[in-house]
Formats: sequence, structure tokens, C-alpha cells
Amino acid sequence: MITVQKLRDFGADVSDGLRRCSGMADFYLEMVNSVLGDAPRFDEMEKAIKEGSLREAFEIAHSLKGVYANLSLTPVLDPIVRITEMLRHEKAGDYTAVLREIREKHAALVALANDD
Amino acid sequence: MKDSDTLPRFVARKRKVLVVDDSDVNRRLIGIIVSREYEVIFAKNGQEALDILQDSPGAVSLILLDLIMPVMDGYAFMERFLGHSGQYGKAPVIVLTANKEAEVESLRRGAVDFIPKPYDFPEVILARIRRSIALEEDTTLIRKNEREPLTMLYSRNFFMEYVRQRDLDDQNTPMDAAVLTLNRFNMIQDIYGPGFVRHLLKAISDEIRRLLPQDHCLASRGEYGSFLLYHPHRSDYDIICNEIARKVRELTGNTRFNIHVGVYENVSKDMDPEQRFEKAALLCYDNKTSYKTGCYFYNMEAHEKEMYNERLILMMDDALKDRQFRVFYQPKYEIQGDSPVLHSAEALVRWFHPELGMISPAAFIPLFEKNGLVLKLDRYVWTEAAKQIKKWYDTFSRKIPVSVNVSRVDIYAPSLEKELLALLSANGLTSDDLLLEITESAYTTDSTQIIETATRLRSLGFRIEMDDFGTGYSSLNMLTSLPIDALKLDMSFIRKMMNSSRDLKLVKLILDIAKFLRIPAIAEGVEEEKQCQALRKMGCELIQGYYFSKPVPPEEFEALIMKETGIPA
Repeated sequence: MITVQKLRDFGADVSDGLRRCSGMADFYLEMVNSVLGDAPRFDEMEKAIKEGSLREAFEIAHSLKGVYANLSLTPVLDPIVRITEMLRHEKAGDYTAVLREIREKHAALVALANDD
Repeated sequence: MKDSDTLPRFVARKRKVLVVDDSDVNRRLIGIIVSREYEVIFAKNGQEALDILQDSPGAVSLILLDLIMPVMDGYAFMERFLGHSGQYGKAPVIVLTANKEAEVESLRRGAVDFIPKPYDFPEVILARIRRSIALEEDTTLIRKNEREPLTMLYSRNFFMEYVRQRDLDDQNTPMDAAVLTLNRFNMIQDIYGPGFVRHLLKAISDEIRRLLPQDHCLASRGEYGSFLLYHPHRSDYDIICNEIARKVRELTGNTRFNIHVGVYENVSKDMDPEQRFEKAALLCYDNKTSYKTGCYFYNMEAHEKEMYNERLILMMDDALKDRQFRVFYQPKYEIQGDSPVLHSAEALVRWFHPELGMISPAAFIPLFEKNGLVLKLDRYVWTEAAKQIKKWYDTFSRKIPVSVNVSRVDIYAPSLEKELLALLSANGLTSDDLLLEITESAYTTDSTQIIETATRLRSLGFRIEMDDFGTGYSSLNMLTSLPIDALKLDMSFIRKMMNSSRDLKLVKLILDIAKFLRIPAIAEGVEEEKQCQALRKMGCELIQGYYFSKPVPPEEFEALIMKETGIPA
């Protein structure tokens, strides 16, 4: 089960996240839990990049950025911000590393839920 | 009292905010913040939002809009929504964005504000929502009330506010405040009915727009068929007035309806706008009995006169107390004998003000007659005159009767006879000594009351002289029944009679009337020998005027008495 302390240890800026949820820890954790199933969206993003649909990939990245920023899940947010900027400028190049980082950090977040 | 800006806003309902965002987490996060003060509804994309809005247009007070969304993004939504209030209602849009460049673009496309993601300061978000809703509601209220729906001219409060703004923007251009009225509006309403009157008012407002381009002229519909206009000074109001009157005649087919325009020219910008238009409206009111289309003007000169009059009114009590008023006496001579004989005098008041100097009676008497202050002044003159008669009697053993003015308002004073008798008794006089002058126009306008009062005064022995005779339109029939003891010919006849045989005949006629009534005639304003001779020939008994003496202070009048009685000066 994810707790505030676990998120703090994970590197999330919990106090910011909580403030956005009007200080309601339960609601905050519920929101965090709702992003644990985001892996398919990373797949969508990766697929779009591979197919050269950088605009579509950007929209997904941009949307993810908004959510992870609001929840202050900094470790996942950082690579998402980077990929969003790359896609905004439709930079051709190697997205593999940053995609991998996103998946890894997200997996670490998911692991918090399973790690009792 | 609180300023209207600080009064609480009327809250009739919990306002609805529509959150449009494809991210469930973001929707819920912003929803939590917004739901503290508002009812929140959600849409996942622009299309869903449009569907909700179309279902009940106007129900949503504000839209929080994400930009990047599937199906229909934020920009496409704004393009469909803004400017289509008939279909979707009207609500301000605040864009939710994490992208700096998008902020400017959103504002350019019609968003009123933006909220940056992540939502760091919920209080700031709520404040921005509150302010945007208030601004939109204010704007809507203004749009709905700014103009009067029939004529689409400004409604009164907005008009006055825009007049104030106009003055703030431009202090230098001389401006006119005009009130245009459809004379006998009530009658038009009765004859033609309210439906036609609406049509007529609309047509007049269209004419106003045509004649006075609205980029210069502020116009508003007033009450009872009137219109208010604020315009840079111009001198062709007659043309405007006639054009509009023509339109009214054309629509009603009635040539008897007319337009009056009261214009306060070159307004004083220190004066409150409401007051300026009151001045202009008053011009129409004062002339409402005129059945001719026309313009009436009030300007700085009239304003200064009004201010001066106001000053005179304010100073009057002190002037009485400080004895700034002095009573002068003008002799009346009997001329039918071998040589003229001093008969009596008329008391005439003069005002010597320590700062303003000598104030002309023409400046203050009509003014005090209008507002009733003459009541006090008359009593002052009566008292002074009665004391003077006594003093001359004591000095010269001769009673010189003095005529004093009895104004129209005095006639209505219930204590009039008592006051006059008290004056006589205080000075040891009889009612023969104090002659009472009542102007002819008073007889014709307040005839019943005057006749009653004059009859009572005569029964007490007072003699009544009808002043300014020939200017008040007495009917010959009426004259025979009036309780009067002398006719005083208005000086205008005397001035003209030597130059026109017509006027000379008229004087003769009046003298014949006096003869017929068996009362003496007194000619006022006699300045020359030939006038005196002509009047004598025509049978006039008494003469007053510069030919014998101008009105003089009592000391100088004494010289006339001494001359008369042979006492060496």
C-alpha cells in the first residue's frame, strides 16, 4: 500500500502534492494510485514515436506531465518533462533512454504499492 | 455608507463551473479546489463540453479548459463556443496550461485568463475564478441595462456616468446639455395609445441619431417623452428641433404637437451632470404652455444671474436687520390748479449694499415677489413710510399721504388689515394717510381674493390705487365693479404718447375711463413739460415723475415740503 512516507522516500514533493489536494492525504493517495496503471500510455507514446507521429506522442507526454506535476511525483515527472520538451520541438532522435527512464521510475512507484 | 464597490454581491444560486480536461486526475484535482465554492461539472473533451453547454445554455458560469485533449482540443472548443452564445450560452473561459506560450495564445483566442499547471496555489485559482465570474456578470449586466430597449439610447444612469467620463476625458471642449421634450406627451398618449407612442419615440430616437452622430453626442431617453442630449456646443438646435417636429407631424398627421428643446449652453463642468440636465429640463417646463415648437437657452450669463439672485435672497434678512434698505419718496403733484401743488408721495425702496453698492429695484423686487420674500420687504417699507408721515407731520404740521405697494402675496396674509391698522395707530395716523397700491395684473389674475381684500380695506377707510394700469388687461366690464380709488397709468404710455397719436389717444381713453369711474388718474413717469401740459389738458389730476422730482431720500423730500409751505430752506 502506498503511504505518504513511502512517497516522500521515493522523492515525491509530498507537501506540494498534498496542498493541491487541499491537504486531504486520502484523496492524494487515491490520485497517486490512479496513475499506477499508466504503463499502457507509455506504450502508446512509444508507438507513436516509432511511427513518427511526434505530435500525437507530444500530446500524450504533455498530458502525463500535467498529471505527474500536479501530484508532484518528481522522479517520474522529470523524464516526462524532458521528453515533452523534446517532442514539443519535434526533435528526431533517440527517445529510448528517456522512455526507459520513465518506465523505470514509474515501475518504482508501482513497486511502492506492492512493497509492504 | 458603503461604497457600491464594497457591497456584497447578490448570490442567488451556487454558480456552476465546467471543468474540461481529458485527464481524470487533473479533473478531480481541480474539481476538489473549485468545489469549495462552486458546483462543478466535468467534460473529458471539447465536444463533450459543447454538448453539456448546448443542453442548457447559460447554466454554466465559467469554463476551466485544458488545451490538449483528444476528440476536440481546447482551441477548437473556443472557436466553436465563443461568439455563439445563442446556442451555448455565454461564459468566460480560463485555460489550464503548463505551457507558457499557450498562455498568450489562449488569451489571443478569447480566454479571459489562464491557470498554470501544476495547481500550486488553490486560493489563487479560486480568486481568479471569482474575479472572472464577477467581471463577466458585471459586463452582462451592463450590456443588458446600458441601453433602453425601445430606443437603444443610453439608459439614464449610464448616460449620466458617460457624461462624467466624457468630462474627465476632455475638460476643454465646451459642451451643451439639452433636453428635448415632446410637448403635451400625455395627450398624445391618450389620443394615439401606448403602442403608437412607442413607435413615435423610436422614430424620434432614430432622428436624433441621424441628426446628431453618436460618436460625438451622448443621448438618453428620459421620462414622459423626453430625451437628454450631451453634445459639443453648437448653435443649430433650431434646425434639430424643427426636423424632429416635422417627423412627429408626419407620423401623427397632427400639426398641433410640437417639440421643445431646453439647452443649457456651455455647461459649467463643476456642476453635477444631473443638475445640468435639470436646468435644461426646467427651460422646457417653464415654457410648457407654449404651443410652438422652439428652443430655449440657459447659459453662463443666466447661470450667473441665477447665482446673483440666490445671493440677493441669502442677503435679504441681514440687509433688513442692518437697514441697508432705504425708503425714497417721489412726490405726486396736483396739476389742475393754477400751479402744481404737492399732493402726496410714493414710497420706493432702494437697497444700498456695503459691497455691491446700490442694487437696482428691478434686480430684487421681481425676484422677491416671485419667492414671497417681498412680504417682509413690504412691511419694512410700510413701517418706514408710516414713521415718516408722522415725522413730517410733527415737523411741518402737514400730513403728506404716502402710497405704499401691497404685493400679491400680501393680499393673502390673513393679518393684513390688523397689521396696517396697528401701524396707523402706532404713528397716530388715519387710513387716509397711507395709500395702498395694488398692481392691475394682480386684479386680473387673483381677482376674487383681491376684490374681497380691497373691499375690506376700503371699508376701513383705506384708499386703493390701481398701479401700472393699462398693462394688466382688465376688462371694461370688470373695471366698473372693482373697489378702487385711483388709476395709475403705466409709465410706458406716458413715454410714448408724445411721439404717437395712437398712444396719445389711448392715454385720453384711460383718463376718460377714470372720469367715468369718478376716480382720479395719476400719470407716472412724467419727465417733460410738454407731457405735463398735455396730461393737464386731457384732465389728468395727478402727476408723478422726474419732471417734478426723482425719488429722493426723506431729507431731500423735506425741501419740497418746505418749498410748498413757504418755509425757507
